[in-house]
Amino acid sequence: MSRPGLNFSQFKPFLYLGCFLAGWLFLPPVFKNTLRDTSYEFQAPLWVGSSHLRDVQTTLDLRTRSKNELIESVRDLSRENAFYRQERAKLNEYQDYIGRLEGLLNLPSLPEYRYEVARVIRRDLTAWWERLIIRKGRDFNIPVGAAVVFSGGVVGRVTKVHAYTSDVELVSSPLFRMAARFENDQRPATYQGRIHNSFGQPFGKVSDAPPDIQASSTSPITLVSTALGGTFPSGIPIGTVYRLKPGSDGLFQTGPVVLDKRLLTIQEVAILIPLDSELTPEDEEAVSP
Amino acid sequence: MKPFDIHQKGNPRLALFYPIAGCMLLVLIIVLGWRQLAEFNQYKDREELQAQRRIIQPGPRGDIFDRNGKLLVGNRPRFSAVIFPDELSKLRREFRREYIRRVRAIRKAREETGEHIPIDVNQLIWESRSAIVQNYLDEINSIMGWDRTLTVSQLQRHFSQELLLPLTLVQDLDHDAYAKLIEQLPVNSPVQIYTDSARYYPYGSSAAHVLGYVTSTYLDAEEEKLPGDELTTFSFKGKEGKTGLERYFNESLKGQSGGEIYRVDPSGFQHELLESREPQKGNNLVISLDIDLQQMAEVAMGQKIGAAVAIKIDTGEVLVLASKPDYDLNRLSPFIPTSTYQEITENGAWLNRATQGLYPPGSTFKLITSIASLRQGIIEPDTVIHSPKYFRVGRRLFPCHSPYGFGDITLTKAIAVSSNTFYYNTGIQTGIDNIAEEAKRFGLDQQIELEIPFMARRMIVPTKEWKKQDGRGGWVPGDTANVSIGQGFLLTTPLHMACFTASLGRGETHTKPTLVRVLDSESGAPATDHGADLIGLSNEDLQAVYQGMIDAVNGGTAKYTQLPYLQVGGKTGTAQVKKDGKDLTLAWFVGMAPMENPEVAVAICIEGTDSGDNYHGGSTAAPIARVIFDGYFRDRITQIANRP
Repeated sequence: MSRPGLNFSQFKPFLYLGCFLAGWLFLPPVFKNTLRDTSYEFQAPLWVGSSHLRDVQTTLDLRTRSKNELIESVRDLSRENAFYRQERAKLNEYQDYIGRLEGLLNLPSLPEYRYEVARVIRRDLTAWWERLIIRKGRDFNIPVGAAVVFSGGVVGRVTKVHAYTSDVELVSSPLFRMAARFENDQRPATYQGRIHNSFGQPFGKVSDAPPDIQASSTSPITLVSTALGGTFPSGIPIGTVYRLKPGSDGLFQTGPVVLDKRLLTIQEVAILIPLDSELTPEDEEAVSP
Repeated sequence: MKPFDIHQKGNPRLALFYPIAGCMLLVLIIVLGWRQLAEFNQYKDREELQAQRRIIQPGPRGDIFDRNGKLLVGNRPRFSAVIFPDELSKLRREFRREYIRRVRAIRKAREETGEHIPIDVNQLIWESRSAIVQNYLDEINSIMGWDRTLTVSQLQRHFSQELLLPLTLVQDLDHDAYAKLIEQLPVNSPVQIYTDSARYYPYGSSAAHVLGYVTSTYLDAEEEKLPGDELTTFSFKGKEGKTGLERYFNESLKGQSGGEIYRVDPSGFQHELLESREPQKGNNLVISLDIDLQQMAEVAMGQKIGAAVAIKIDTGEVLVLASKPDYDLNRLSPFIPTSTYQEITENGAWLNRATQGLYPPGSTFKLITSIASLRQGIIEPDTVIHSPKYFRVGRRLFPCHSPYGFGDITLTKAIAVSSNTFYYNTGIQTGIDNIAEEAKRFGLDQQIELEIPFMARRMIVPTKEWKKQDGRGGWVPGDTANVSIGQGFLLTTPLHMACFTASLGRGETHTKPTLVRVLDSESGAPATDHGADLIGLSNEDLQAVYQGMIDAVNGGTAKYTQLPYLQVGGKTGTAQVKKDGKDLTLAWFVGMAPMENPEVAVAICIEGTDSGDNYHGGSTAAPIARVIFDGYFRDRITQIANRP
């Protein structure tokens, strides 16, 4: 029995793959970008749909709960609502007071924000600590660069806005940098994310910290946002600093910043949109794919 | 014979060429070997010289603290928006693209217009580079709402002289700009925030003359003892003390420079970091000044021109060294603007009047005349001398400051009321030689060694020889009368008078002042050896002088230094000087406290600026001294009173 000879048709798939890769390599970047963005916009409805499906799933899951559980939850919820109503009333009083002081002292108003709550619909495994996708985009006038926060503090910044979704650069990403300050101190420092393993403890790094700030494991200090940077309102927690190491120049200290663990399982965020910088036609153009 | 047979082997006609070719080949092999083996190091060195660059970065200067640990001079961060050299290197592709775009635009214009538009390649290259860098500067402009530009010549200077240093786009960013740029510039942008340090003076103009200022200077690579002396070196600007403590302790304060050695590509851009050494901060310095006391003295002096000095009598530590007018040191950092320099020059504020101001000491000198007279036995503590309205010397009448004179008085009373005629009389009897010798014994003619540069050197304690040598003619008795009351040719500094008072307080002839808070290593107490002799008067004589100073404060000319809880002793002086054709007065005070066991000596000198200034030692200088004594002792008295 003779051994069958090598047939050219056996190598055809490799040939086609090679041709395709070579073709892709020499495609103009404009074409590649357009293709990528278009493909993204085609995929987005699927992600949005699956997100809605998960919400329905959660709702159905909740419906299986007993009446007693629901009653308890509603009771807790109404208590929380009452608490927040009270806090809201206090906040309104403070805002009125600030307004009166601004009027008396002829001060410019503090930047005000409106917020959009959005569900997290997708998080890439490969970029778990770098990026997440939220379920609001141009349809809600989300601007590029807007601050994104959650109950635990800073989440990140909007980097891309699509038709119905937006990309958020996470606070833990090495490409995320913001001006920060320590609680009870007004001097600015720099916060930047670090490279992480997926699902590990999120952390970042604070640099240019004033030399007289002290932090230790027994008395850690909270790093918060500063309004000086122009993106975030002042005082939103970024993370906790347990140690600071002085630099050789004696001017500054640096140290790791431990971020909120809840960032790992975050489901919902709020986008802070400055009221004086709502989307203009130029912004529209800038964010279009 | 076949064609080419002539080239066959063994042709005897070719035999000659074989050894020639062999020799030539051998020479090539030898030279190659020589180059590769023997001259290896030489070529390696040349390659290093050509392909390696060294960058020197200065270490931050040390801080200066006062005796209580308060920061007087520190470093503040100075933020700049820069393009780092490695990023600049990466921009070359953009430079090239812009260059090509411009060349194409010119060619297109040529085709359209048919005119010959010349292409200056060099100019086009620089314009392209400048346009790209300006794009990045515009990013900053749009974030900050600025309108800054970078000229082609600035860029050319950077490329030709500082290619391995960051290209500064905007310098000295404030906190607001720093925070905005940190947050809004992309992390991977070529533009980044660079931090270096500038000197920072938390107390502004306080003790400006003592602390001094720094200027920017390129570092001397050889002095920095970094490897790679032979390499082309780029250096960040360091800081060098120009005046005051910054200059005197420059070597100790300045940090140790760090350095980096890079391999560069043929265009001179960074390629690879080969070696690096971190810069180290300089040593800190703790000085003897008490900044709170210093500020009290400066506030008490207000806008007046003059100086105030306070010295700890036992250690010689200078607690206060104030000179007015002064200047805010922060205005001289990181560089001195021309307008600021001119303003300080016009105000005459560069001069440290405490250590460089030469003034006749006025009646404060009567203490020295008293000591000279006592030493020579001209007077005793209980000697009564008549103090009339005028004292005649030759044909000239020398007046007393009291229109009626003081009648018959002893030394103690003469010091308390500052009788001129008493001292004309005793001074002439003592003689200029003895008075001058006494002044010299207390070091009034010696340059004081203090840890700041440019101390006064031209003090004058006049003698007969001095006057002759100076071409002022022969000595006359009237000169002695003038010197007896601290007038005439006498010139001294407020610091000299403070040292004299401190010496008097210890009963010694010399005080070695210091601006450094030095602790004795064994006892932990400040060193106290002034290398001085005892004054050499009897205790009774010295007590008479001290009592005169006490009486001056309790009811005499220095009564404005009285403090209810403290016995101050002092001597006032009001000297007359001629300056710029105007008759001006100088108000003096020297004193010490507590008189039971003197601890602090003070000297004040205030210059009149106009003929109409009604300045007197008792009313102008003494109240400033009172503030210093009060500031020094009040807290301690309160602490003692509160002890259980």
